[in-house]
Amino acid sequence: MVYQLQQVSVRYQDHDVLQDIYCTIEAGKWISVIGQTGAGKSTLVQVLKGLVDVRKGEYLFNNQTVAKDAKGQIQVRPEIGYVFQYPEHQLFETTVAKELAFAPKQQRWTASEIKQRIEDILPQVGLSEDILELVPFQLSGGQKRRVALASVLMMNPQVLIVDEPIAGLDPVGRTALLQYLHQWQQQENRTVILVSHHLDDVAQYSDEVLLLHQGRLIGQYDPVTLFIEQSHLLEQSGLVLPESIQLLKLIEQCSGQKIEIDSCREHDILAKILPIWHRKEQTFG
Amino acid sequence: MLTFNQVHFYYKKGHSIIEDMSFTVHPGEFVAIVGANGCGKSTIAKLMNGLALPKQGTVKWNALDTSNQSELADIRRQIGYIFQNPEDQLITTTVRDEVLFGLENIAVPRTEMDQRVLEALQAVQMESYIDAEPHQLSGGQKQRVAIAAILAMRPHMIIFDEATSMLDPQGREQVLHIMHTLHQQGITIVHISHHMDEVLTAERVLLIDQGRLIFDGSPHSFFTDIAVADYQLQVPFAVRIHHQLQLAAPVATDWKEAIRRQWSINSNR
Repeated sequence: MVYQLQQVSVRYQDHDVLQDIYCTIEAGKWISVIGQTGAGKSTLVQVLKGLVDVRKGEYLFNNQTVAKDAKGQIQVRPEIGYVFQYPEHQLFETTVAKELAFAPKQQRWTASEIKQRIEDILPQVGLSEDILELVPFQLSGGQKRRVALASVLMMNPQVLIVDEPIAGLDPVGRTALLQYLHQWQQQENRTVILVSHHLDDVAQYSDEVLLLHQGRLIGQYDPVTLFIEQSHLLEQSGLVLPESIQLLKLIEQCSGQKIEIDSCREHDILAKILPIWHRKEQTFG
Repeated sequence: MLTFNQVHFYYKKGHSIIEDMSFTVHPGEFVAIVGANGCGKSTIAKLMNGLALPKQGTVKWNALDTSNQSELADIRRQIGYIFQNPEDQLITTTVRDEVLFGLENIAVPRTEMDQRVLEALQAVQMESYIDAEPHQLSGGQKQRVAIAAILAMRPHMIIFDEATSMLDPQGREQVLHIMHTLHQQGITIVHISHHMDEVLTAERVLLIDQGRLIFDGSPHSFFTDIAVADYQLQVPFAVRIHHQLQLAAPVATDWKEAIRRQWSINSNR
């Protein structure tokens, strides 16, 4: 499956939120969308989900134009799961169990199928069955976020859009959740589209990164190209490099030595830096 | 001074949220409260200014008791609360009205109001947005307006309940800067956060686990003595780098500066 935007523009009132966007989202990849607040990140993923009217340009799904009417939206929506930035925007049932069962019931799943799927999904998003009979709005912010994600994962969508999924999660829970999503994406050959301000997570998991600035797409890059070779683009877009890459650049500056990197994961970067640092210690220490 | 004395709290009997909790927050302190999702941090914050009331034990702000209905208004005027999502806190159509709202509720004389609104917006550098519509502001700006609305009431203590978690890095930086400026001006700050780098800048850390107070001490001792991963937390990058590179400088030192200094010392030996 391939989703393409060609010269897409979106306007709210008299303000262009997206301008002339060209991008291609291929199946089976982890794609992150980054940019400052107001750059157009959420609008871009809402266009992909068919939630926003496109003023200009074309939206193509498997090389076929998606109609700008309800029929077109129905064509793309079922394949795409969307977890909103604020879980309160999507939770509405009176218990967590009902929330999770809502979409499967619409698809006429049996009670035992729903029960089995809930049992599979809950531990993966860091929740226990104790919360099933609780009211979603009584849960903590982090728990609500996990329930919102679980309710979307129930349907095992082809494409999962997650808009700031880890805001408010504790650090270990955040890492576990992202690792689970990464594993799910790889094993099931799914597509994840992550909107995030956490560039260290983006560097860790992405196959491709879409960089937006003031409603325009600066480019679509692999992480090494963007974070290492073209890092000035991030600075120009008002973003701050992940700390591990700041460390890499600092050690390069101190040593006067270019460090070759083929992964932006913190673990891989430290594996390159530590020997250089320790050699220096041994030489002069 | 805020005192929790053997506080218990639950929403549903048999499902305890806070258990036998006792601690004191002293005037002018900057206290970080940390713990896993659902451990009770936000409930503690709500107990602090009477949005939740203890089932057993007492929560006192100086001599005022949150369980005494007649004292609640005074407590809430002196202890401000900033929510995680600024959208939950903004209700009017202009920034000016947003800041005025609290003042009207506590019956501040009308002649004083304009001055208080202006001062509060200046403190968060939002005075030029006084006639703007709150919903058109960025997340960081909304949060600054929410802070101004609290500041106008001249509180002695402000609770920031994960107030930076939904902001972009710039918005987060702005709110943290304001938090530290207010602290320097003598306001007591309680900061609930999952950002461990923010915890490093606090004076004192309270670790909560399953409704119980597990640790009460300095950030340095927190990251040294506690296996933070056991509580779903993570050692901040700055501390990890200090340990991995065995930097000689104290952990509180800016890690970039510590690396430059150590590299330069080694080179000149």
